[in-house]
Amino acid sequence: MFRFRRLRTKLTVLYASLFASVLLVMTGVVYSAIANNVGHVVRGELAASGTVFDRIWALRTNQLENGAGLLSRDFGFRSAIATHDAATIQSALDNQMTRLGADTAFLIAPDGAVTPVGDPGPVQRLSPATLAGLQSDGATAGVMMFDGAPYQAVSAPVMAPMPMGWVVFASKLDRGQLRSLESLSAIPLDASIVYRAAGGGWRDPAEGAASDSNAPLNAFVDAALKQAAPGPMPMSHGGERGIGLAKPLQSLDPNVPAVLLLRYPLARAMAPYQLMLGAMLLIGFGGIALLVFGSWALAKDVTRPLSALEDAAHRLQEGEQVLVGVDASDEIGRLAGRFNEMAAEIQSREQRITHLALHDADTDLPNRQSLEREIAALTRDAGEDHVFVAALGVDRFSHVRGAIGHTLFATLMGELGARIGLSEPQMRVARLSSATLAIAFTAADPGAALAKAEQVAKMLEAPLRLGENTVDVSLTAGLSGCAEDGSGVSSVIDRATIAVDQARDSRRRSAVFDAVAYGDPAANLSLMSEMRSSIEQGHMLLHHQPKFDLRQRAVVGCEALVRWTHPTRGLLAPDLFIGMAEETGHIRALTEWVLSQAIADQRAMAVVGRKIAVSVNISGRLLSDPEFAEVALALVEGADGEICFEITETAVIENPELALAIIDRFARAGVKVSIDDYGTGLSSLAYLKQIKANELKIDKSFIMALNESQRDALLVRSTIDLAHSLGLQVTAEGVETETSLALLSGMGCDLAQGYLIARPMPMGQFLGFLKSEPDAAMQAEPMPKPRVA
Amino acid sequence: MERLAFILPIILAIGLSVSNAAAADLVVQVRTTAGAPVEDAVVTVYPASGGDTGPIHFDWPLRMSQQNIAFHPFVLIVPVGASVSFPNLDNVRHHVYSFSPTHQFELKLYGRDETRSVKFDKAGTVALGCNIHDKMAAFIKVVDTPYAAKTDANGNLVIHGLPPGQATLHLWRPYMKAPNNEITKVIASPADGQVSETFAVEIHPPAMMHSAF
Repeated sequence: MFRFRRLRTKLTVLYASLFASVLLVMTGVVYSAIANNVGHVVRGELAASGTVFDRIWALRTNQLENGAGLLSRDFGFRSAIATHDAATIQSALDNQMTRLGADTAFLIAPDGAVTPVGDPGPVQRLSPATLAGLQSDGATAGVMMFDGAPYQAVSAPVMAPMPMGWVVFASKLDRGQLRSLESLSAIPLDASIVYRAAGGGWRDPAEGAASDSNAPLNAFVDAALKQAAPGPMPMSHGGERGIGLAKPLQSLDPNVPAVLLLRYPLARAMAPYQLMLGAMLLIGFGGIALLVFGSWALAKDVTRPLSALEDAAHRLQEGEQVLVGVDASDEIGRLAGRFNEMAAEIQSREQRITHLALHDADTDLPNRQSLEREIAALTRDAGEDHVFVAALGVDRFSHVRGAIGHTLFATLMGELGARIGLSEPQMRVARLSSATLAIAFTAADPGAALAKAEQVAKMLEAPLRLGENTVDVSLTAGLSGCAEDGSGVSSVIDRATIAVDQARDSRRRSAVFDAVAYGDPAANLSLMSEMRSSIEQGHMLLHHQPKFDLRQRAVVGCEALVRWTHPTRGLLAPDLFIGMAEETGHIRALTEWVLSQAIADQRAMAVVGRKIAVSVNISGRLLSDPEFAEVALALVEGADGEICFEITETAVIENPELALAIIDRFARAGVKVSIDDYGTGLSSLAYLKQIKANELKIDKSFIMALNESQRDALLVRSTIDLAHSLGLQVTAEGVETETSLALLSGMGCDLAQGYLIARPMPMGQFLGFLKSEPDAAMQAEPMPKPRVA
Repeated sequence: MERLAFILPIILAIGLSVSNAAAADLVVQVRTTAGAPVEDAVVTVYPASGGDTGPIHFDWPLRMSQQNIAFHPFVLIVPVGASVSFPNLDNVRHHVYSFSPTHQFELKLYGRDETRSVKFDKAGTVALGCNIHDKMAAFIKVVDTPYAAKTDANGNLVIHGLPPGQATLHLWRPYMKAPNNEITKVIASPADGQVSETFAVEIHPPAMMHSAF
């Protein structure tokens, strides 16, 4: 089935074809009825005309017979015959012929001699059969072929009382005669007399030509004559369909039968109806045209709102705001109305969704996505070199939130955002996270930008009234320019956020993102996966830093420090991978390796004659790992000398019970425990009391300023005293100057560690150091740089 | 006239029996092909020997009367030279005529009980008609031989006294289907006794004519 592209065409074609079908059927029925009726009427008329003709024929025959009979009985005429008075005979025949209106007359003697009126030629050419037919005992009538044409002839014997001859009168059956017959019929039929020609075919003298070729005529007449009572039959005449009636006529010559043929072409019969059929067709076509036009117009009415709806739906899909004009109350009108409602709802929902997508739900401030758009817009306008983003993080977030509650904190952030909006309307504000706002703005250079960011931060720190409470907040600002800085952090917002952390790390109120300090966390992360293989492949190694006994004036121990010589990145600082190893769980394997290596190194030191204590840093995370404790203790059992585990106080805080239990196990196993970096963490006296330690290491930050700060010196001295009173040995870290060493010695410090004594050094070098300097720790080369590796 | 008619046959019978002792009787039977007897068929015989050459006399009246719009008899045999009377016994008038070449005549209208006579001088057939009544028809056979007779209602006739030897027989009957309504046959007549001839013929009376058939 054909598929319509347009509803309008479909409707139009459908209606038009429906109407056309009905019209066609109607026309067909009407035509068939008319044709049927016409056929009926024509048959009836033909039959009636045939009867009329019979009657006319009989009347004419009768008339001729009467005339012939009259003459044949005339005594004078008979006398003339008896006396062979040819002239009288002829004149009598002529006289009677004129009276009868006949066309020819003659007398046939019993011996066959013929006395004609006028030209004797045609009479002499009469066929013997015709003559025999005429010479009948009584009066005879029939068709006679005379001079090549059919005549209606009668003959009457002249009796005296024996036959003396026969008088014959004949009328030519010409067109005129037949036309008078035709005129009697109600329908304009064609009447003709046909006779069998010499060839056997039927011949219509009116048509002239030999009718051998007239096969339809022959077939029709032959068929009609075979019937017992010939009735009207369909026939074809001159190529036209028609109805014909063949009536056999009495022929005087049995060899030349004659037939009256009444024909009526159907086309002629249908002619009066042609006008009606034409009118019907015209009305039909007019109707179709009207229908096509009407349904086209109607369909337009139907489809125009549909097209409008389709178009509107398309535009709605494109995100446009659409409203379809509704001017109907039908289904389509209601559909349009519903569509408009739907479109409006979709639009409002979309607006809501968009708003939600771009705004923070708590404060209704723009969110990060929104800010990114604003930044993109600003960048387009001002160029990325002049667009800056500042992240403003609320300090001590958890404390503040804990104090005022989540809801009020959200209100606080909203108020802060609003404040920026009021004072710096040109700035784009967004809430990046719970405690971080961000502003995007343009500035001439990073310096001006930083100043502006600090100014905003300062403005925000003004006390804020939330309900009945007044809240003070402090903020740290982190700034980043939009221009790509090669840090690998693609988002300027991220950079600004990192800058906040960087500022906090360095205890500043504001900072510009420092790409160098940030490094490459992603690359560092990948280090962890390489750590294990680096351990196996020997890329990890231990450096040892000597611990100097201030009383014995000799090196009595060392701290083993791990170093990683990365195959592609070179020597990596412990700061870089230790913290990460702790975070990723690699710290245990690393520590186990360090411990076993330290034990091996200690054995090597013993080989060169120096049995010294070796300290290993144990991460706080491992103190809550009993399995590690098992492994570590197993390793320590194989040690040839004193092993010391350096731990930090903070390591205990996470899981104090477990950590303290493990430390106890270490202590019971004879492992020395040292509290590392004392003074920087929480330095809890409670833990100091609980941890079964042997040593306290004072953080280098106190030692390095020892000779300059009276307060530090005081702290160190009292710490040393505290440790001693708790029975702890004291080691000072970061000893870099002779003065410090002297001071510490004076304070009663037990051990010193630092560049003044020696830097951490590889095993080979450390063994050399031990050999060359068995007792002379003071000769260690002084190091100009105070930084710890 | 009536008296004469009675006397003549007697004379003839005596004459024949006396004058010709050596003679035979010709018996003729005429039937239609369907077997019906044919009346009024005329047989004339011409003996090769010539036979009786005396004046011819027949033993029936030479009269053609008209009664009930019809001629009586239908066929009348008369000898050559005989006068035939035409009495009108009807109370209407008749106009008797003949256009036969043998003897053309016309007896113009004459009434009841009027008699006309016509003398026939020539042998042959004379067809009679009435100009007033078309259906009236009769025939007078004028013969020049004494040996002539017509069949009765049974289709039979007898001719007595036929001389022995060969003879030509003519059978004539109005409307008989034959040339000139006549059949000719040569017969042999024995010296004494009887000779029989039988004819099967077809008769076609004209449709418009009143006829016995």
